[in-house]
This record gives sequence, structure tokens and C-alpha cells, in this order.
Amino acid sequence: MSIRFDEVHKSFGPKKRILQGVSFEVKTGEILFILGRSGVGKSVTLKHIVGVLKPDRGAVWVDGQDVTKLDELEMADIRRKCGMVFQHPALLDSLTVYENVSFGLRTPQYTQSLQRPLTEAEIRKIVLEKLSLVQLPSKVLERYPTEISYGMQKRVSLARTIAPGPDYLLFDEPTTGLDPITTNAVNELIFRLSRELKVTSIVVSHDMNCALKIADRILVLEGGNILFLGDVQETVRTKEPLIREFLAETLELLTPEERSRYGLGEKGAKK
Amino acid sequence: MRSWILILFHRLGVTVSAPMTEHLDAVGEMRFLSGCVWRCCFARPWRWREIIHAGAQIGVSSLPIITLATTFAGLVVTNEIAWHMDTALNNTAMIPGFTARFIMRELGIAIPALLVVAKVGAAMTAEVATMKITEQIDALKLLRIDPVAYLVFPRWIASILSLICLTLFAIAVTLFFAVTVAVSKYGFNVDEYLNNLRHFVGKDDVIYAVVKAGVFGSVIPIISCAYGFRCKGGAEGVGLATTNAVVASTLAVIGLDFVITYVFSIIMG
Repeated sequence: MSIRFDEVHKSFGPKKRILQGVSFEVKTGEILFILGRSGVGKSVTLKHIVGVLKPDRGAVWVDGQDVTKLDELEMADIRRKCGMVFQHPALLDSLTVYENVSFGLRTPQYTQSLQRPLTEAEIRKIVLEKLSLVQLPSKVLERYPTEISYGMQKRVSLARTIAPGPDYLLFDEPTTGLDPITTNAVNELIFRLSRELKVTSIVVSHDMNCALKIADRILVLEGGNILFLGDVQETVRTKEPLIREFLAETLELLTPEERSRYGLGEKGAKK
Repeated sequence: MRSWILILFHRLGVTVSAPMTEHLDAVGEMRFLSGCVWRCCFARPWRWREIIHAGAQIGVSSLPIITLATTFAGLVVTNEIAWHMDTALNNTAMIPGFTARFIMRELGIAIPALLVVAKVGAAMTAEVATMKITEQIDALKLLRIDPVAYLVFPRWIASILSLICLTLFAIAVTLFFAVTVAVSKYGFNVDEYLNNLRHFVGKDDVIYAVVKAGVFGSVIPIISCAYGFRCKGGAEGVGLATTNAVVASTLAVIGLDFVITYVFSIIMG
């Protein structure tokens, strides 16, 4: 039960080479943060896992299946196991919040996996539970996406993704546009899903602070390749200039306990 | 000098070929979507809620603008035909027949189709294009929903049915105002006008109108959605996709109008 990239190459036209032989593996229940500058291919990497994009070369393995070789029909099974939170909320504007969150619970593939369709009361219970997890009140249920704020839309999108209970969660900048309190709640949720339900999470983000708090490992992409892959301790200690730049502000904000946890000296002390 | 000319030709080639390639790619997308919607016809369940929603969007919301446009068309067409007949034949007795035939075979069909292109087709492209760039289409795929079955098929069915109804409605409105002008300005009475009309138009003309409207109704959403699905970039991409879709749909309606007219002229004589 894992996700593996083998020498994945992807370009958009002859001049836009995004991924140039990316290889890594994500283990069950692990939280992997993918960091990197804008346009470096973080979201592209994520989209390869669910077959929204196909690589030019290489293989992407999900649960022992090479998704690059699967057709749309076969991909449905992989997509049932994966939930993805997009960079944009990507809610369906013609549906209410309730209908958006319950959408995945009504699909034939989901009801087949349960071997029976859910009753409306069961669907409502799941929807309310997921909305409360992302700290949304039940009064938004009957509103349309255009009637709620961007931050709320992002949280609805997150609730929709986790509603069918996927094995893998892919987050494309899940906390962009959210206030610090909700950001913390989302991070806690990712952490809890990983630890309690063994959900494997891949998070694309620019937020090193979040990464240090909840990631098991951090992967940094640069120039179409993996610049760095290691756990949090290794990340804070690396001398790689780009990562130091990412870390600069975050390290300043660390509490003494966090600094000692990562094996760093006291703030301001020379090493 | 030679290299300067080569650069000029290269630039000219790129300027001409880039939009051509884009349109050819869009034609490929249209073929793909057409195949998919035909397959959706035989797949169950049909999404009735989306079909009704699209029907309201295409049909009901277009009624006011079509009523207004066909009112003026009805007022103009009798005057125009009367002028031509009077000038050429010195006789205005044939106004009802000629007017009715022109309305039922061209005016009453082309006006609603072109208005649906401008109003609904453009909105359809903008909506699908926005969904594409905001990753809503990817989200649909991840929810195991076929974007074509969810977005294109309901609009396709609704567009065909709506355009047939709109066309029959447009013909009725245009005829009503054509009769009004004929009665008030050229001294016809209503019975005389309708008797005269019956000699020229019949059941075949209604079938002709329904077939044309059905064909137009089926191509407009395919073209509109194809450009929407191919949208790239941000707001500029949505604008470009919408413009391209409106131009392509308009040309398709006019081109198909000719083709169907030609085919029917062979079949009906």
C-alpha cells in the first residue's frame, strides 16, 4: 500500500520541461510535504498520482498498479482510493454545500464498495461530521459556493474530499487563503487522519512552518528534480541554500521546545 | 536581405498556423465529444435534474430576446417582400406565401439559432472554461464522474429540445407580426392571408424547420463545450475560448444551414 514514482518525466511543449526523472516513494500512513518554488512541478507531481496527467516517461505506482498504463475506466478504482484537495476549491457552483460534500457518497463506485446505497439520513450525518471537522457550521449546508467566502469554500472542498474516506489524501496547497486558526485545524486534521486512520497524505505547500509541524518527510523539488528528501530533523539541519531560504523565517518563529526537538541550538546562539 | 525575408515568412507562418492549429485541435475535441454524447444516450441514468436546469437556461431564459428579435424580423420581412414584389412584379398578392415560406425555411430558424449561439453558447463556453481552469473538471474526474456525461450531455439534450421549441415559437411570433403588417399596411384580411399561406407552406416545412433546429441545437453545445474544455491560462484564456466558440458556432450554423437547405432541395425537389 504505497505510492511510488519511478523516473517520471513530464514536459508541456518542447520548452517547458517540468519533471526530469523524479523518483520517490511514500509509505502507508506517512505525511510527505512537497515544497519548492512556484512552477517547479509540485502540483504536476500530485496530478500524476490520480491520472489527471500522464507522464511522458516513467511510471507512477499506486498500490502496486502502474497508473500510467490504466485507462479511464480502470483509473476509477484508483481514484476511489484517492482524495484530492485542489489549489482552487473546485466546488461545483450549481450545487449547494450539502450536495457538494455528499456528491462522492452518491457515486455508483462508492455505493458498490459499501454494497448498498446510503440512506439520506446517513449521508447527512457524514456530511455534518466532515463539516464540523473542518470547522464549518451547519448553517452553510444549503448555501451555494458563490454565497460563502473563499476560505469556507476551501474547507468545503476539504470536507468533500475526506467524506468518502479515501486511503490516500493529496493536498494541493490546502491552507492557502485560510486564517491561521483554520490553517492549524486543517494541519491537525491531516495529522489525525494519518495517525488514527493510517491515511497516507501528500501535501504540496509553500508553508515550511506547517511542514515542520506535521510532516514525516519533506521533499524539495528544484529544476525538475528532487533537490532534497529527508525527515524534519534532516531538513532543519541541511545546508542547502534554497532550503535555508525556505527555513529562514520559520526558524525565527520556532519556540525553544521546537528548536530543541529539531536539535537546534538556542535562538541567537552561535553553533 | 534573404534572411530578413525568411524571418518575415516564418513569422507570417506562425501567425497564421497557430490559430489554425488551435481550431483543428478543437475540431478533434468536437469529434471526441460527439462520440461521447452518443454513448451517453445509451447509458443510464440520465441526469434529469441537469437536463431540466440546462433546458431552463437555454430555452426559458432565451424567450424574451427571441421574442423581441423575431417581432422586429416579422415587421421587417413583410415590408421587404412587399417592396420586392411590387417593384419586380407590380403585384403584392403573393406576399403571404412568400413571407411564410421565407420565415418557415430561414428566418424563423436562423434567428433563434444565432441568438442561442450568442447568448447560451458563449455562456456555456465561459462556464466550462472557468471550470477547466479552476480544476472543477479534474475534481469531477476524481469524484468518478465523467465530465462529458455531467456537463455536455445534459446541455446537448436540452439544447436540441429547447431549440426545436424556440424555433417553432419564433416562427409563430414572426408570422404573427408579418400578418399584422400585411393586414394593417397592405390591406389583407386575416382569412385571406391564411388561405394564401396554406398554398405555399405545409407539413414538410414544419419537418424542415424541426430538422434544422435539431441539428443546430446539437452542434452549438458541442462546439461551445469543446472550446471550453480546451481552455488554457486564466481570464484571458476564458475570453479567447468564448470568442472562438461564438465565431465557430456562428459559422457552423450558417454553413449547416446551407448544407441542409441543399440536401432538402434535392430530397423535396
